[in-house]
Amino acid sequence: MASIVQNMAIAVEPLVAEKRNAKIKPSLIMVDNVLAGEDSELTFQDIFTTNPSIVAATGAAVVAATPTVSRLRVNVSDMACVSMRDELKDLKFLGRAQVTRTVAGAPDANINCHVTLGYDLE
Amino acid sequence: MLELKPMPEATVSPGVPKLLQEGFYVRFTDQWPLTLPHVKGKFFQVEKTNQVPYDITRIIPGGNYCDVDLSNATGGENIYPENTKTLYETILGFKPGNYLVHFYIPAGEYVHRLEQAGMVPNVASATLRYLGARKPEDSPYDDKRIYSYSVKDLEPLILRLLVDTGVDFEKMVLGLVVNKCYLKEITPTSEKEARAKVIRYYPELRW
Repeated sequence: MASIVQNMAIAVEPLVAEKRNAKIKPSLIMVDNVLAGEDSELTFQDIFTTNPSIVAATGAAVVAATPTVSRLRVNVSDMACVSMRDELKDLKFLGRAQVTRTVAGAPDANINCHVTLGYDLE
Repeated sequence: MLELKPMPEATVSPGVPKLLQEGFYVRFTDQWPLTLPHVKGKFFQVEKTNQVPYDITRIIPGGNYCDVDLSNATGGENIYPENTKTLYETILGFKPGNYLVHFYIPAGEYVHRLEQAGMVPNVASATLRYLGARKPEDSPYDDKRIYSYSVKDLEPLILRLLVDTGVDFEKMVLGLVVNKCYLKEITPTSEKEARAKVIRYYPELRW
């Protein structure tokens, strides 16, 4: 298992680069918001590029695209530290993983909010 | 030729090699066409081998499909030999996911179909999309069970990858191991014939 710690020094922080022949399977997410001074809303996002494909039902062609898919969202109160393991068993990232921090819905950086991600490549 | 090796009912000791090895015999049937004279009806011994792993990845939305051509044609994955003395024994396995795989050789001609009219794979049909389709658990990435055999200028083998409805996107990872076999033509004896791996031309799989 590999792991990474990111301080939310900017509102969107990269976590893991895409591995072309594997999915990223998180095994641990820990958010340390003890010294942040405010609640944190964290969204874990999956960014990947699709291949051209065809809609099976209609035969219509679909061109390549690069969607951003939110895979997990968690609110962490000020002065709190939370960790998740079992809740992650069905969570997978197809491409690269990043985390976005917001406060009241607006992007917000906070260097005292720390995110730890443990993961395997599957 | 394309085959799925089923789960064994029993194990034998010592084990049986999964791939063709040096010294093994292979026989191409007389059904191979005149356009492939380098193998039609011929008998060979494997002189040397080399195993080459390769992964192919596609990400597409749910309800969609894409085709992967294993041949050396333009846009293909170039998994076919270029030398008339070479046989590629390719084993194929899938990483887990919500997808199905249909096989065509050449393009548009199903490998797996039933005899009743209309019982052919069809990704546009809610029921026939499951006919003849292989699932990732049929040939796991770490225990590959689908074998295909290719020679220079063989018609392209197409894999149609379908992500079933109900998922937003799926990443499909196809793991290949290409067992490159360099062949030496020999004169068969009855004992060698009995031990040889028979390699059939793909129309023999459809009757």
